[in-house]
Amino acid sequence: MTSTTVPAAPPAFTAFSPDNWRLALIAGIVISAVAIAALPSGVAFWITGIMMALVAIAATMNAVRRRYYGGLLVAPAIAVLFVMNIFPLLWSLGLSFFAYQSNQQTIRFVGLNNYIKVLTNDLAAKDNWAALTNTAMFVVFTVAAQMVIGFLLALLFSKQFPLRKYLLILVLTPMMLSVVAAGVFFTYYYDPTFGILSYIMREMTGEQFILMDNKAGAVAGIVFADAWMWSPFVMLLVLAGLVSVPKYLYEAAAIDRVSGWRQFRTITFPYIRGLLMLALLFRTIEAFKIADLVILLTKGGNDTMTISYHLIRIANEQNKTSEGAAISYLMLFMVIVLTNLYLYLANRRTQGN
Amino acid sequence: MTGSDKLALRLSGISKSYGSVRALNNLSFEVAEGRFFVLFGPSSVGKTTTLRTIAGLVPTDSGRVEIFGKDVTTAPIAGRGVSMVFQSFALYPHLTVYENFAYPLREEKVGREDIDKRVKETAAMLKLTHRLERKPNTLSGGEQQRVALGRSLIRRPKILLLDEPLTNLDAKLRHDMRAELKRLHRQFGMTIVYATPDELEALSMGEEIAVMRDGAVVQRGTPDELYEQPLDTYVAGKIGSPHMNMIKATLGVDMATFDTPLGKLQPTRKVKSANSGDAALLGIRPSDLRVAGQGDAFIRSTIHLIEPLGDVTVISVEAGGESLRMVLPEASATSMKPGDAVPIAIDASKIHIFRAASGQAMT
Repeated sequence: MTSTTVPAAPPAFTAFSPDNWRLALIAGIVISAVAIAALPSGVAFWITGIMMALVAIAATMNAVRRRYYGGLLVAPAIAVLFVMNIFPLLWSLGLSFFAYQSNQQTIRFVGLNNYIKVLTNDLAAKDNWAALTNTAMFVVFTVAAQMVIGFLLALLFSKQFPLRKYLLILVLTPMMLSVVAAGVFFTYYYDPTFGILSYIMREMTGEQFILMDNKAGAVAGIVFADAWMWSPFVMLLVLAGLVSVPKYLYEAAAIDRVSGWRQFRTITFPYIRGLLMLALLFRTIEAFKIADLVILLTKGGNDTMTISYHLIRIANEQNKTSEGAAISYLMLFMVIVLTNLYLYLANRRTQGN
Repeated sequence: MTGSDKLALRLSGISKSYGSVRALNNLSFEVAEGRFFVLFGPSSVGKTTTLRTIAGLVPTDSGRVEIFGKDVTTAPIAGRGVSMVFQSFALYPHLTVYENFAYPLREEKVGREDIDKRVKETAAMLKLTHRLERKPNTLSGGEQQRVALGRSLIRRPKILLLDEPLTNLDAKLRHDMRAELKRLHRQFGMTIVYATPDELEALSMGEEIAVMRDGAVVQRGTPDELYEQPLDTYVAGKIGSPHMNMIKATLGVDMATFDTPLGKLQPTRKVKSANSGDAALLGIRPSDLRVAGQGDAFIRSTIHLIEPLGDVTVISVEAGGESLRMVLPEASATSMKPGDAVPIAIDASKIHIFRAASGQAMT
């Protein structure tokens, strides 16, 4: 840097200057705290907001005068992240320690009571326990179906054949559809009176066929729809792995007279193992949160309730906001444990080899 | 036919096209058992395709491949008893060196102790014993090359195909590996078909060389035969360094003397089926030119470039408007400098004669 413009020295803590962000921060916190304690909540809300804006302006002025351009450039992104992600996350975490319902004005600190209630009382209730086991069942079935179908599709599309490019686009389409569209599509597909499935079954057996009238059928319907939507995702990842295997390795193996199965195990599989794990991880996390297709296809009927759907009912339909927050955090905790278990097993296998 | 002359490999009339590109064009040659056979030619001339055809990795469009007298044109890869080292080495990246070696054996249901014994033998032979537990990507280029070789040798193949195996190595390693390969060939006596675009590799290693052009063999012979009697200007230009000097000439009425920009030249070789007045190219190797001594017939020339190469010096001279290169021992070139006039003499018995139009030898 040239010596012509030296950045101004930071102002003293007590100086009343637009770039004194330390003073602004302390003043903002104190004034907001006083306002929240002393004034009605409507007024305190606006005062706190103004204080936050003041601190932001002071920090920006400081960055300009001290030439922290890097910080200045990432600030908008961090601000958006804070507003959209971090703040709601912390807010809902805080909420889970209060007794609060979105249709009532009262709010009361209850500590861990929400969590205790969910883990004892609620879990003991037959319906809720069923929601938990159903979710586990959906995770196992949908992920297994997607992995197997996606993997086989990838094997198919790694070969060259006529119309491959167009068929690939066709196979990828379900993934791009809105879940609602897919759900509506399958609703018609499974419809007892004019759905094509029922029609075919009626033609074959001569009897009325309603897929969704028992648990097995309902689960099969949901799993099929989910696999239809998300197998292409697994396929895409596995396909990326398959095409990354150098061709000459297969040629070398052919020269070494190695059988097809051993070629797959020792050449193909090591190349796609990482991507398979990734697909498994993504799909498990997603499957754990399954609610959309259940809502669209069965509305939780025939014992197909899942935790996510249960959560939506608790938080949105029964207005038990803080209890919903507690359930959300318990779900987050379960997903984190599950994914770490996966990663641990995956890493151990890699090192074991 | 004696035992040592048994044919290991015979290719007859092989053609292969990739789309509109003709890779092999009526290719034929045979290789005697135990021979170190070199396929030599610039890149994209069909060397790799030839090897892949022999291995069975690509089906031929037409023609016949025979291995030890057996037609294997359509036989599966596994039954051919052929092993191949790829230019890219093609080591299995997820397996250790030990497993790379053992890989071909495991499929053949060789016993565990036997595998262990052979892996250790091969590793010792290639000086890789201390690398057995490493993965290929942690090895140097030369070590990877030796692993690739070892994996091919461990099965004791009757025929070993090597596809430009030294191209990816640096100069010093190449030199070492050339010696190493010759030693392995002597030790095991297997038939080797070795593809290379490198003249030095071809001449120093090959017992027999096939020069390839446009998917066919132009000339086949020992290194000496190719050097002494190139069948056309293509082979003459590819074998020997620096390249052969080519001088435009016209055949005189006596069917022996040629009119050239350097004056009249009378090569010892006799021309065949030619007419006086035919346009020809006289090929003279740089090493067959020398500074004329007392009493020699000589050609006046002027030096315009001197390239010292250590023990020899390459001198470029101009004579009668033609540019000629000559190789002199370093000692006799020390006093020369560009612009000097130098009388040069040509060894008439070493002059090669080619037809100007076709490039074919006229002798």
